[in-house]
Amino acid sequence: MQIYLRGALLSSMVAILFSAFLGVGAQQPGAQPAGAGRGRGPAGPPEPTPRLADGTPNLGRVAGEKGVWNVPYITNMGERIVEGDGTTVVERRLASGRGGRGARGETGGPPLGGGEGTSGGARGGARSEPQVPFMPWSAAMYDYISKNESKYDPEGFCLPPGGPRLMATPYPMEIVQLPEQKRILMIFEGATHIWREIYMDGRPHPQGDGLNPTYLGHSVGRWEGDTLVVDIVGFNEQTWIDYYGHPHTDMLHVVEKYSRPNRNVLHYEATFDDPGAYTKPFTVRWNINWNPTGELTEYICQENNKYLQRLTDDFGQPIFGKKP
Amino acid sequence: MRMKHVAFAVAAGFMLATGSAIAHHSFAAEFDANKPVNLKGVVTKIEWSNPHTYFYLDVTQPDGKVVNWGMEMGSPNGLMRQGWTRNTMKVGDEVSVEGAQAKDGTFVGNARVVILAATGKRLFAASSQTETPQR
Repeated sequence: MQIYLRGALLSSMVAILFSAFLGVGAQQPGAQPAGAGRGRGPAGPPEPTPRLADGTPNLGRVAGEKGVWNVPYITNMGERIVEGDGTTVVERRLASGRGGRGARGETGGPPLGGGEGTSGGARGGARSEPQVPFMPWSAAMYDYISKNESKYDPEGFCLPPGGPRLMATPYPMEIVQLPEQKRILMIFEGATHIWREIYMDGRPHPQGDGLNPTYLGHSVGRWEGDTLVVDIVGFNEQTWIDYYGHPHTDMLHVVEKYSRPNRNVLHYEATFDDPGAYTKPFTVRWNINWNPTGELTEYICQENNKYLQRLTDDFGQPIFGKKP
Repeated sequence: MRMKHVAFAVAAGFMLATGSAIAHHSFAAEFDANKPVNLKGVVTKIEWSNPHTYFYLDVTQPDGKVVNWGMEMGSPNGLMRQGWTRNTMKVGDEVSVEGAQAKDGTFVGNARVVILAATGKRLFAASSQTETPQR
């Protein structure tokens, strides 16, 4: 599998060089068909933040009730970067009343329009955006991925989202706090049916070779008031930051902030610091909607992935399937 | 044509309302939103499997030739959240399908809506078309 993946990556790199060499011109984003939106939270005033016995915010279910977080489909984190004026592209778009492309599953704040993913189009070669502090190589990689419509997306291979893309891949998610065990579990139905453990016992990250690069990295957490702050290092390089293909390296350091301002909303913020791919750190943010009747169900992505079986490389050769 | 747009709007609206979310792979990498298909045929095989359920149907073309199409839908759990069970559609059922064809022009497509001839019921296929950018 690893060998095949490297093969895919290699052909990608070759194609990047080709497109750089040919100096493929900037393409205009395609038209954006209007997407109908959901996005409004439940009617009535929001209920207060649920809390555990010790007063800590409860980021999960209340005993005896159902509920999951409806993780939204954030396809382009570039539009979620908090810029100099303290706003994001998506927030400005919503504020301007141009309808929005707030992703589905979000709530809180102004009503959202169609989701980013539901807008149905407008990728096809759209170039890297100025608010993303790309290095030349990461911009070239992004532009290449844009041109091939995210064809080699690791999630399409049934590999895990990795990092903050966990909170941008649209399947239900649960947070289970285990204060007596000094840890928090996050369980993800989608992408690859994975869980994540956040150590709350004050341990540091492993040092040197003790830190094994993994898809989800090594997470340690602490409470700052009502905000859960999670520090993550130790990512491997097998994932993208988002569906649009913002790349990252194993130098990536992420700081996540989770808060639940009311029962219905999980506010998510993540600061990316990756001196291997970006010239300066940047912060993204969005809200995740509570679905009070939801439950996790089984989703085993690897079972019958025909997309992968049919996938061809940039030279038309099958990557995983049989050679013709 | 008008009806088709209405149908699409209804399908999209329903999917958004139910909040189903299927986004396994890039829709645009495999399918072409500009190649809509409306197929009528008989189901020959069903693969109720992850990450996508597939079904195959024999479609008689205008020239009388029968072509077997393969259509992708959402995952079993995504379909169940939209009211399907594994027995909603059976081999031998006559169905109509609205969707989009594969970019490579093969007889493969992404189903958005399936209509069972026996009941006339419109079933939404947990398609990735409204979930990922299409071009």
